[in-house]
Amino acid sequence: MPATAPAAVRLAVVDSDSGFVRVLAKRLGAVGWRAQLLPTPPPVEELQVMRLHAIVIDTALLGSEAWTYIEHLCGQAAAPVVVICTGPSSVAQRVRGLRLGADDWVTKPCHPEEVLARVEAAVRRRRAGELSSQPIEPIVGGELEIRPDMFEAFVGGRAVGLTRREFELLHLLAAAPGRVVPRERVYERVWGYAMAHGDRSVDVFVRKLRKKLEAASPGWVYLHTHFGVGYRFDPQEAEEKETEEVDR
Amino acid sequence: MTRFSISRRNGHEFFNLFDEAGANILRASELLDQLLGSWPDGTGLGREILLCEQEGDRITHDVIQLLNRKLAAPIDRQDLYALASALDDIVDYTEEAADFLALYHIEAPMEQAQQLSEVLRDACRSLSGALSELHGFDDLHHHLVEIHRLENDGDRIMREALASLFQNGIDPMVVIRWKDIFERIEQAIDACETVAHILEGIVVKQG
Repeated sequence: MPATAPAAVRLAVVDSDSGFVRVLAKRLGAVGWRAQLLPTPPPVEELQVMRLHAIVIDTALLGSEAWTYIEHLCGQAAAPVVVICTGPSSVAQRVRGLRLGADDWVTKPCHPEEVLARVEAAVRRRRAGELSSQPIEPIVGGELEIRPDMFEAFVGGRAVGLTRREFELLHLLAAAPGRVVPRERVYERVWGYAMAHGDRSVDVFVRKLRKKLEAASPGWVYLHTHFGVGYRFDPQEAEEKETEEVDR
Repeated sequence: MTRFSISRRNGHEFFNLFDEAGANILRASELLDQLLGSWPDGTGLGREILLCEQEGDRITHDVIQLLNRKLAAPIDRQDLYALASALDDIVDYTEEAADFLALYHIEAPMEQAQQLSEVLRDACRSLSGALSELHGFDDLHHHLVEIHRLENDGDRIMREALASLFQNGIDPMVVIRWKDIFERIEQAIDACETVAHILEGIVVKQG
């Protein structure tokens, strides 16, 4: 494996060809990638919450739903790299698959080493793209300056002292100023999983974040609660703030 | 009637110990309820629950010592032993649940855990009331009925809590951590029901 190869890739292989999958899994294990082997295609939402870097999928398993599935899979926010690995196909099919968002297409029979190399290359390209396209512009609201390049927020040049999770929560809300972000959506984006019913993590972290923001910028209110729904970032001077604001 | 009088006269040491045990389980369950209500703040409450667990051990030890020392006991010796042991279980499970919050680095509480701890607190309150009335072998029926009702509530909340954990896409670490904590609180509630069964047996035998 070259020095530039992505390390610790989380991969799902959606394929029922046990011989091919066995050999591929052996190679994946040897390079230290974590692979989920799925003989049947799960719902796209399930794949999304696995926080995968890449998916190798045989579209033959999808039947007549293949194009809808691929389009849905590739259209997800933070979709993983999708490599279609399937039997002989026409040029029109391959073009369609790639135009729907697939990152690569490998025709069977193929060598597992080639599949691995193509996944590796696509993940590398994706990561390079993410780094160059990541928003590093600060978000300014009230006295607060949110700096994604430093994973920190500042008031008058002084760091608020946020943890990684607090920063991600603040950045997510501040990236949609004035809009209510549902609690479940916050959890999904910041924690990377679906939120269990009854989980109070978002509320607890909003409370911690509020405390730090109030200490750093006492004249302003930044986070507003929408009961039973979620939270909204909307900097307001303290005089304008609601008389009583509680979590949840 | 004769047996009734002898029991009361000779048994005050036992009844005092069970009064103490009742107060101790109630305190532990109230502390767990407060801990889950304020988590991740209020971690000092965990230390106080641990002290309740140690107090529970002391009371159980004292009951066993007293049983070994006394030739006559106010209640069937097997029942006394079972009662002390089941009361100790309540505090042990309560303490384990509190301990897991810190041990598993729980970031925030789950609503279902808070509901279960409320059920446990209420069950302990009823038990404490029943134990304080045990010395007169009064009618404990209303306390015991309430404990059975609360245990059923606990079962329902537990089922809903597990169902919420096994939805698609939940972080497996969240499932592992909270399943353990839910189970400990449920075991504490089950132990309350065990105590209620023992008390029912005692009342029937004394009747």
